[in-house]
Amino acid sequence: MGEKNVLVVRHLKKQIGAKQILKDVSFQAGLGELLAITGANGAGKTTLLRIIAGLSRKSGGEVIWNGGNIGYIAHQPMLYGSLSVQENLAFFAEMYGTMSQRRVQELLELVDLWLYRLEPAAVLSRGMQQRLAIARALMIAPALLLYDEPFTSLDADGRAVLRRVLAEYRPRTVQLVITHEPQHFGELGYREIRLKDGRVVEGGDRSA
Amino acid sequence: MPSFVRKAWLIYCKDLREEFRTTDHLLSTLVFGTMLVFVFSFALQLVEAAPEAIFPAVLWVSIVFMAILALQRSFAKEKDSGALDALLLAAGDRSILFYAKFLYSLTVLLLLEVIVVPLLWVFMGAAGTTVHMPLFVAAVFLGSWGLAAVGTLLNGITVQLPGARLLFPILAFPLFVPLLIGAVLCTQGALVGETRAVLGWLYLLAAFDLVFTIVPLLLFDYVLEG
Repeated sequence: MGEKNVLVVRHLKKQIGAKQILKDVSFQAGLGELLAITGANGAGKTTLLRIIAGLSRKSGGEVIWNGGNIGYIAHQPMLYGSLSVQENLAFFAEMYGTMSQRRVQELLELVDLWLYRLEPAAVLSRGMQQRLAIARALMIAPALLLYDEPFTSLDADGRAVLRRVLAEYRPRTVQLVITHEPQHFGELGYREIRLKDGRVVEGGDRSA
Repeated sequence: MPSFVRKAWLIYCKDLREEFRTTDHLLSTLVFGTMLVFVFSFALQLVEAAPEAIFPAVLWVSIVFMAILALQRSFAKEKDSGALDALLLAAGDRSILFYAKFLYSLTVLLLLEVIVVPLLWVFMGAAGTTVHMPLFVAAVFLGSWGLAAVGTLLNGITVQLPGARLLFPILAFPLFVPLLIGAVLCTQGALVGETRAVLGWLYLLAAFDLVFTIVPLLLFDYVLEG
């Protein structure tokens, strides 16, 4: 059993067919930490996040997380286009058993979408859909937040919303952000983990 | 309500809400089923055959083709919108998705049959035929149950593969064959009044349904592997 609210990744490996996507990835992240996972395309960043989220099976090593719900914001917004903004949030909140109308309103206000709550998700711009995806991840009271290139497709206002979320949720969560542009974190301090060819080449934990 | 049942019910209700909000798929499948009825009835008017002899085969060919169209929809919505990952995370146990999608597919299939089967009954000239209604209803229900269960399992297997829309019918047909044989013979038994003779086939249908409803509980975690 690992320590509560500490994410431990040890010697993680992932192989699909003959291709070894993750060769040996180890690091730790504790409560309040913001980790920027960087690296070239194909370095294994998204695979790493999907394994931590439980969406993909690992081939070796271990991921230890005992902290509670995991919020995952993927490259795609992962929304139901024919459902309204509010219905999208409510559906996932009910799935996790965290439904509260007041919370829905708070989160939609946080991501500046309250005025659009009755609009179908399909008619929103890509940036607005991404903000709704962020609200959906926050709806489940996450203790670990995983973001896959969240700044992509966000305009200046959207990036400001995301920075607000990163800052507001920092004290009570562990946050991992895949990004090619860590400069968007602005004044938020962060630790960088750089992946190359399925290995941590900078900022990892070699003793783990 | 236990978490497993509650989550499956929420996904089922969400799927139906989406289906009825954008009725284009349901409507196009219904139009396809209705066209099949008309094409069969015109074509078979040209040959001399007793309705009870050809009705069961025509009925099940129509249902299987409608099912192929309708069943592909169950996971396609998530695949197209990218919401499958979000749903997998929220569901936790992946077999929840199977039971929700299976129920959704069965509901859609039964709704289509409520319209298409009476139309076929009338247009095939079977209106004057006496029918053993409990056996007929049991055959249609158990046949549809099996189609929905197999279809949902295969849809889960193929949805993340390239060429899923082509793969699904190719993989589905061999598995549909035993179901089709049992369903056609039971339907014919209901029409000609030979209920005892086809009871074995009815049990086979029930056993087939049971297997394909329980097996995914063990398999589905691996089926939707990312």
